[in-house]
Amino acid sequence: MAAPRKLDTTADVPTQVFQKFLESVTAAGGNAETVGRLKTTLLEKPDLSEEALETAIFGESSDDD
Amino acid sequence: MIRIESITIEEFRGVRKLTLEFKGKNFSICGPNGTGKSGVVDALEFVLTGNISRLSGEGRGEISLRQHAPHVDKRNDPAKARVIVTVTIPHLKKTVTIERDAKNPAFFKISPNTPEILEVVRQVAAHPEIMLSRRELIRYVLATPGKRNEEVQALLHLDRIEEVRANLLKISNRLKRLLAPLESAVKSAVDGLNRALVIDQMNKENILTAVNAKRAILHLPDIGDLTPTTSLKDGMASPGPAKPQAVPKKQAIADIGAARETLQELGGEEMKKVASSVLVELKALAGDPLAASGVSLENFYKIGIALVNEESCPFCETEWDMETLRTKVQAKLDRLKELSRKRKEVEKKIQTLTAVLRKTQGILNPLLQHASVAKPAIEMEAVEEFVSTCRSSGQTLANLHSLADAIVVMEDFAALPKKVTDEIGKLEEHVAAIPDATKQDAAREFLTIAQERLDVWREARRKEHAARTKATQAKFLSDTYAKVSDELLAGLYAEVEKDFSHLYSVINRNDEKTFSANLIPSMGKLGFNVDFYGRGFFPPGAYHSEGHQDGMGLCLYLALMRHLQKDGFTFAVLDDVLMSVDTGHRREVCALLKKEFPNTQFILTTHDPIWLRHMKSEGLIAGRGAVQFRAWNVDFGPTQWDDRDVWAEIEDYLNKNDVRSAAALLRHYLEYTSSELCHRLRAPVEFRADAQFQLGELLPAAVGRLKKMFARAKDAAQSWGYKEIVAAIGVREAAFVEAATASNVEQWQVNVAVHYNVWDNLTKEDFAPVVKAFRNLVESFNCADCGEILRVSPDRETPDSVRCDCGKINLNLRQKKA
Repeated sequence: MAAPRKLDTTADVPTQVFQKFLESVTAAGGNAETVGRLKTTLLEKPDLSEEALETAIFGESSDDD
Repeated sequence: MIRIESITIEEFRGVRKLTLEFKGKNFSICGPNGTGKSGVVDALEFVLTGNISRLSGEGRGEISLRQHAPHVDKRNDPAKARVIVTVTIPHLKKTVTIERDAKNPAFFKISPNTPEILEVVRQVAAHPEIMLSRRELIRYVLATPGKRNEEVQALLHLDRIEEVRANLLKISNRLKRLLAPLESAVKSAVDGLNRALVIDQMNKENILTAVNAKRAILHLPDIGDLTPTTSLKDGMASPGPAKPQAVPKKQAIADIGAARETLQELGGEEMKKVASSVLVELKALAGDPLAASGVSLENFYKIGIALVNEESCPFCETEWDMETLRTKVQAKLDRLKELSRKRKEVEKKIQTLTAVLRKTQGILNPLLQHASVAKPAIEMEAVEEFVSTCRSSGQTLANLHSLADAIVVMEDFAALPKKVTDEIGKLEEHVAAIPDATKQDAAREFLTIAQERLDVWREARRKEHAARTKATQAKFLSDTYAKVSDELLAGLYAEVEKDFSHLYSVINRNDEKTFSANLIPSMGKLGFNVDFYGRGFFPPGAYHSEGHQDGMGLCLYLALMRHLQKDGFTFAVLDDVLMSVDTGHRREVCALLKKEFPNTQFILTTHDPIWLRHMKSEGLIAGRGAVQFRAWNVDFGPTQWDDRDVWAEIEDYLNKNDVRSAAALLRHYLEYTSSELCHRLRAPVEFRADAQFQLGELLPAAVGRLKKMFARAKDAAQSWGYKEIVAAIGVREAAFVEAATASNVEQWQVNVAVHYNVWDNLTKEDFAPVVKAFRNLVESFNCADCGEILRVSPDRETPDSVRCDCGKINLNLRQKKA
């Protein structure tokens, strides 16, 4: 079966920025779990609110002492 | 992404039923204002995006798509208002039909319906910027930098980038702010521990030396190392439950001494000086109504200044001078900026005050602890209240949410209630009266308090460390994001800037060939300066004409779209843009669109037939790639200048014995078509600066011109010895002359009796032959195969042929050289 044709998509600038950001964080030794959560929040299930980003950065059980 | 093959519009806006065949190519819709061009643009936008921006923009509060998109006679039946487009998707090699009605604008029928086709349609819907009107175009050029940035951001969908940037920065700043009190708590804990251990500097060696000296008194072994879990009391018997906790005399004396020092610092000259200066500055800020109104007013001005594009107030319609108003609002924004700078200065000074407040809290807490274990207990209500006041005052100053609250705090800053010193005095007396402990008891107290304070320090340190880790991580992410997005956007803007300069210099190559521009992105703004004939860089509206500004708007739009959509930029609607561009530059614009964007289908609307001719003569649109609307009425919608329509309509009028209407339509049509004939045949007509040519000036000129061309073509064929061609031209010429003679056109200038001005007075029987004669005449200008009007080629300089678009007719005008 032929592979699905790749969509001739428009260059989505925000997506490019988000991807490049995640690459840079990974390259700088950023925590893999954090990068995974940020990927979900920025790209897969976009929710760009402050709360969602903070949860992505520190996880659900962040220490709020 | 897509190309439009055809559109069918039914009962939508001002259109009753209309089908236009774009055939995936550039297409122009021309017609005077109010003939229905915008209805087609609205229909295109609606079927592709489910929205009509003209109905949903600012100031359209009472207009709804569902209620007002249908034709006025179908406003209660929105399902009848529908638009159907057939589009091709080049990269999928698919032809797709999309249909949408005004009853359910959010839904559409699509055939064929596959996930990949749906994805393309979704992407098109996400790009309403494929529809560009002049109003939108000029926003890229004349807007303020902040507003332009918003427009460009919206076009490039950069709002999401900015949203993430702002939120990451907020998180980073908030976590950084949380650090300050935790750092103070660590410092207080260190001071407390140092006092307990009677050491100057907290380090492992000092701690162990002090502790082991006391442990030796109690015959406890030395502690060799200090780890995070080391207990200073290790091995020491805990006091039995019967032994009450007592005030540690030496420690209490040290704590009281430190508290007095800190209170002295709080009320000292240096702090008073800072406090006084802060109070003055806070009062000055609060006295400015702009500062008091805060951020909301700043946003109001920013939005307002971008929206000021009418000559009067949209609320009360009071007329205003736009320049004066803009200057005033900008002055207010500048003032707010200055106030923001001053506020930051005050905030910096306030940091000194909040630090000493936190220190005071930390130093008084041990005193409360000593008082609570004293026998009898010592009342320290005033000290307790003062600690609480220090905490709330510190928070009010640190947040600075309300200037008024901050001023109240500052007016009483460092005012130490006498009761506080009295209570401390009482504690001091109590402590002084406590008998000196034995050496062993003193050592036990020492180790107990040292351990307590070590624990306090460890907990403060843990919290501070955790907060610092979070703040560091948040800052790293915020900084990384800012760097990545800045680099990517800077690269994008650099490319757009280069492309924009290139496109603009193409359409202005005669006078601005070396043109260049600067796009200057900075936090939330996008500056835009353009070269003015090598004299320097200025805002576009500073020196360039309105026409040049239109050109800049189009070029910036095209450059942005090319970089936004890349190969996906296959379709755009240019709705009456560039009306201010002069004739010479319009040709260049046509050439630019054709050469620079060969894979983009442009749908162009214009009310100017000359503009349409430029599009045709420059090859931007093909002969059949245009429609001319001649009129509109509420019952029938737009009507086109289509030959079949016109002759059938005239016939209808005559059948109803309405000669007046038939005559008016024939005259109107001949005016339109004569202008087209003269243009294509390059017929000489007496020049009129207002371009208001009479039918009597145009049609005879066109007839005379074609006759002359036939004669020259015959002479040329004769010179080459092509007798058959001479004969064939003769036949065509004879037919044309017969048609011209029958119409009496050439007599108009000499015989008023046959002039078109008298048509209104003819009977149906008299006028029918006139109609027939003119229909024959008009058709004799056309190629019988392609139906297009013959044209002289080239369209400038010495004519070398008369030809049609399909090439069936091609009469050589050049004679053989002797």
